Amino acid sequence: MILERRDWLLWAISSVVWRMPGRGSIKMAGFSHTEAGSGLDMLAATEETTRRDMRAKYFRHALDELKHARLFKKRALALAPQEMSRAQAMLEDSNFIREHGINASESLFSRLGELEFLAFVWIAEQRGAQQFDVYTDLMKDDPDSCAMFAEIAGDERFHIAYSRAELDRYTEAGQAKEVKEAVGRVKRRRFLEAWLRFSVVLGDFMSKLWLGILYILVLGPSSIFARLTEKQPKGFVMPVIPDGDILERAQFQG
Amino acid sequence: MSITVLGISAQYHDSAAALVRDGVVIAAASEERFSRLKHDASIPVRATRWCLEHAGITMDDVDHVVFYEKPLKKFERLMVNQLLHFPKSFKAFQRSSMIWLTDKLWVRNNLVKQLGVHPDKLLWSEHHLSHAASVFYGSPHSEAAILTVDGVGEWASTGLWRGDADGITPLLEVTFPHSIGLVYSAFTAFLGFRVNNGEYKVMGMAAYGDPVFKDDVLKVLWPCEDGSFEVDTQYLCYHYSATDSYTKAFEKLFGVPRFPGTDFDPTTPEGKRYADIAASIQSVAEDCLVALATRIHKETGLDHLCMAGGVALNSVANTAILKRSPFKTLSVHPAAGDAGGAVGAALWVWNDVLDQARSAPLTTPGLGRAWSHAEVSELLEDLKVAHTDLGEDVCSAAADDIASGKVIGWFQGGFEWGPRALGHRSILANPRDPDMQDRVNEKVKFRERFRPFAPSVQAGAEERYFEIPDGSDQPVRWMLMVVPVREDQKAAMPAITHIDGTARIHVVEEEANPRYHRLLGELGEKTGHPIVLNTSFNLKGEPIVSSPTSALATFMRCGIDVLYIDSFRIDKANMRGLDRVADTSAMADL
Repeated sequence: MILERRDWLLWAISSVVWRMPGRGSIKMAGFSHTEAGSGLDMLAATEETTRRDMRAKYFRHALDELKHARLFKKRALALAPQEMSRAQAMLEDSNFIREHGINASESLFSRLGELEFLAFVWIAEQRGAQQFDVYTDLMKDDPDSCAMFAEIAGDERFHIAYSRAELDRYTEAGQAKEVKEAVGRVKRRRFLEAWLRFSVVLGDFMSKLWLGILYILVLGPSSIFARLTEKQPKGFVMPVIPDGDILERAQFQG
Repeated sequence: MSITVLGISAQYHDSAAALVRDGVVIAAASEERFSRLKHDASIPVRATRWCLEHAGITMDDVDHVVFYEKPLKKFERLMVNQLLHFPKSFKAFQRSSMIWLTDKLWVRNNLVKQLGVHPDKLLWSEHHLSHAASVFYGSPHSEAAILTVDGVGEWASTGLWRGDADGITPLLEVTFPHSIGLVYSAFTAFLGFRVNNGEYKVMGMAAYGDPVFKDDVLKVLWPCEDGSFEVDTQYLCYHYSATDSYTKAFEKLFGVPRFPGTDFDPTTPEGKRYADIAASIQSVAEDCLVALATRIHKETGLDHLCMAGGVALNSVANTAILKRSPFKTLSVHPAAGDAGGAVGAALWVWNDVLDQARSAPLTTPGLGRAWSHAEVSELLEDLKVAHTDLGEDVCSAAADDIASGKVIGWFQGGFEWGPRALGHRSILANPRDPDMQDRVNEKVKFRERFRPFAPSVQAGAEERYFEIPDGSDQPVRWMLMVVPVREDQKAAMPAITHIDGTARIHVVEEEANPRYHRLLGELGEKTGHPIVLNTSFNLKGEPIVSSPTSALATFMRCGIDVLYIDSFRIDKANMRGLDRVADTSAMADL
């Protein structure tokens, strides 16, 4: 296999990461969520597209992604050592999917529209296939994972082919410029999202640091006074009804 | 002129939106049904959008938007507890501060920005008040005692109320960290299930055990003489930990916790120990709830009890309350958990804040989005799914399939309000087949073998199969009571009879769900038994299906034989093209 330049970087990072104890399981759990999230995006596209000829393709793609989610979940559980609960927790926490791109207020299809959505599918599936090629190469000593990546790669070839064919149809219909622009927007957005993910990690770290300092310097001394003054009641207490009529009380958040 | 109130619950778990017009709940839906993320806690943008579309209005036409709790009070409770538990609360402080300072504290802005609400229209209810209003104003009673019990709201974990013509009046409350719900959740985590998700599995597991650890559980949670209860916080850490709910002292008391995902076998000593612990916490929780109910009866002297809050979803405890307390009737809101706060908050505004005529009781659970015959037909054509339109014969054909041992998916009308599948989005099967429980658990739902299935029975026939306590008309409509199966029916109904000889019954009235009622009637004619095994139409870990597309996707990934959507019949044996991905064989491994 001849790797593209950026894939050497992926290969180098992955070869270290995948060898860390328990990391393979967590990566598989993460992939499971990503694929499940993609499945939901594709189901939403099935429902929202106005192109009736696309519905069956999106639906089949959705079922593929949901199948991949299951395969990754199975591998994550198989690779997880008994004491490794993080992968388990990730697999059980559906809200984790949100971190992998699901926007609850609007589906990806609604945000992008048909053409840009297809461009997104084409680029994302290509990138996924490249990644899985690298992982297959790295996991030669794990035949089960290799077989799984090979099965998924087969499905992804279909996803790449149909999305490219649809983009070509738009091009042939005189929308070459729009297709080019959509592909460009998707590529730029992927770069921006990668940067945002890094920013979030950095922001989280900084926030935790500052909150830790605040906790020790401010909450520490304050906790002495709190313990002296705050008595937590046991058993029944009489509810306190604040002054003011009911409408006034309802207008207050606290 | 109409008055429209939109109720919103969000930010903790199970966010939802509900629309009340002139005192009638015309639409209510959990966000998870749209986002497909189980227990989705985000601002319910899609659910709200659908509620408005369903009513044919825009946000400008809504008179009031009410949030189901007071966020600043909740934040105050968090901060006070973190101060009190310095330095053990270090991680919880970091985690909750990041969530609250970046998101939850700004709920007002979030509602304005994400839902397009005018700030002047915003009102704020209280957590337990919303629960109380959801059940009292949804019940047929003009006056009733109200008991709300859940994990925790702002400060209260339990509320005792009186509802009458003057509105809802608070009488007494028990405050955090004393909480039946949170202690039950600590045991849920100990027994290897997910908190806020697996509590009903503990209830199911309890039937396999005996309450031999009751004395130990009573060291953690115990009822008091006055009807209240207390907890010993040395065994618990939910008040200062972001991730754990019980301490090492708890483990010392009850032994090694069950590892999540491991098989539960009650015939092994280890399995029996876990079942005994589940039975013990269930028993103590019931004792606490009966004591609370007895106290509120003493306070109010009323015959009717209304219950809401997550603990009111404990259908075994509901039966105990009705049997052991002085109340003559019990009502429980179908969405007794936090989602129900959306309906409750809106009903509270209509009835108490606006002081309007008493709202109409809830009669049907199908308050969610429906899809028209034409929409379904178009989808099936587009997906090239082989189907037959049966028209009015759909119930007869479905009854034939069930009688012949097939497992069917049943998708009809608007989806249910609340966590129970009540014949709108259900998987149905023959309850008299001795292999059916294992088959549905292993091949269809891919869930733990020990978990029982519920029956739906046509109204009027329930006494033939079950021993139903008087005064349970309301909870049995929402599948919120567990009752004994009659001795002579236990062997005949193996798929819905739990190990302890009980069943979580759903009585189907015609007005609540006409087509499902007719299906049961057809089954009665064909088999002599108007009763069916009914389980939610979803796979393990996923929300119940909402749209025809999600129903088809679930159908393709599990062992359901036939799918009925509206009047269409889809037989898996006739599926073409999509069978390549319809791989159900490996699902059982998960």
